[in-house]
Amino acid sequence: MRILGIESSCDETAAAVVVDGQHIASNVIASQIHIHAEHGGVFPELASRAHVEAIDHVVQEALRQAQVEVEALDAIAVTRGPGLIGSLMVGLNYAKGLALMTGKPLIGVNHLEGHVYSLWLVQPFRPVTFPIVVLIVSGGHTELLLMREHGQYERLGGTLDDAAGEAFDKVGRLLELPFPGGPHIEQAAQLGNPRAFAFPRAKRDDGFDFSFSGIKTAVMRQVSVSPSAAARLARDNQQPAKLRSDVSVRDVAASFQAAVVDTLVEKTVRAAKQFQATEIAVVGGVSANQLLRQRLRAESELPVRYPPLNLCTDNAAMIAAAAYQRFRAGQRDSLALEALAQWPLA
Amino acid sequence: MPILKEGELDIISHSAEQTQRLGQRLGRLLRAGDLVCMTGDMGAGKTVFASGIGQGFGSTTPVTSPTFNLAHQHSRPQDKLLLYHLDCYRLRDAADAISVGLDDILDGTHVAVLEWAERIRAALPPERLWIQFRVREEMRRNLILEASGERHRQLLELFRESAFGF
Repeated sequence: MRILGIESSCDETAAAVVVDGQHIASNVIASQIHIHAEHGGVFPELASRAHVEAIDHVVQEALRQAQVEVEALDAIAVTRGPGLIGSLMVGLNYAKGLALMTGKPLIGVNHLEGHVYSLWLVQPFRPVTFPIVVLIVSGGHTELLLMREHGQYERLGGTLDDAAGEAFDKVGRLLELPFPGGPHIEQAAQLGNPRAFAFPRAKRDDGFDFSFSGIKTAVMRQVSVSPSAAARLARDNQQPAKLRSDVSVRDVAASFQAAVVDTLVEKTVRAAKQFQATEIAVVGGVSANQLLRQRLRAESELPVRYPPLNLCTDNAAMIAAAAYQRFRAGQRDSLALEALAQWPLA
Repeated sequence: MPILKEGELDIISHSAEQTQRLGQRLGRLLRAGDLVCMTGDMGAGKTVFASGIGQGFGSTTPVTSPTFNLAHQHSRPQDKLLLYHLDCYRLRDAADAISVGLDDILDGTHVAVLEWAERIRAALPPERLWIQFRVREEMRRNLILEASGERHRQLLELFRESAFGF
């Protein structure tokens, strides 16, 4: 069974053809990072415009690389949400057009479920025995889920303020590192001392919710020029620097990363124990973080599953993989399907 | 709590918890058409205050950072009133604001809470509650609230009574 997946929920325009929910026949991504890095973040209007310009080429390229005609597809899958509404609509409208033209079934996919099914694209594939604990960590999401069966999720916890990836981006901005913050902080941290600063960690007696706003504010207090010093500088018409000159960016990056990873690992490992999961899985952009992977493996006796690096960030292969299970469960969506900016998995 | 002039209120918050409690008090008072605009640096307490607003409003979902999706919608069980929570940091101007549906959000039938509101000042109606967050030393934050228009002045009065008892 061949499914075309289309993804445009944020800043990547992507299309892929996946066979039987596991084998990637093509996986094309038109990255907008170069556009957004100039501005230090994803700007919605720029993103929508870039999606419109890229989508036709990206889909055609995915079909060409997979050597499949659109008539030979079994279904057309598209990210329905959550995400930026203007961005989502570009992919959704394109998918509806294709479905209308070819008469192929349309399947709307939850972007978060797409991340979960990036695990099914790992080769060679080890069969999954449910239940598993899944940590979804990205720029927009931090969700801890118990997955009991295909498509069945129980939400154990999530962030109460900033998503983990968002904290990386914001601390990256404080440290005057380029966008996106995650990979740049990870790189800077390699040469830093993770014990240089004691940034706050989650308390053991907490539930499974996360909070990263406090860590961000603690970093800000350590590295920023104090308000009074900033006012003095401004009065003297000096460079309005925000970052203190005596701060080691590497040490702050390493200490910050250690605090975030400690929190993610502690809750995930504890949840896996409490709910008797057979495995731990971590997906989403932040799952590319090597320290997070190492620590999960070190702290848990259970097998730890994560996607290959190129499937951690947004892609369309994961959307097609998730749609395969939804298709088998009988899901078919109408051409009136609407995009959803917010769409919790559970 | 110096009263600078009518329609203004100047508060020092000594902790994130206090900022959140202040948000709760404001959240209880909000009605359809109310617009709360927040401005201030990263870490100044805008999202903490907004999360308090959500609790006071009675939102069924926790008010978390809207940075990634730009706009979050929250509802409460007792009526159909919606609370919109926007992060305007990545909106460059009024045209961007319209592209994320600001016109619909500000049509008078919802409550709107905006972070980094100064980014889209030109797209905002003149009647609103404007709150400036300033980082003082360590944990302390200074909140300066400024109301314009009859309803928002009334809202600020009610908030003053709720928070300070007079």
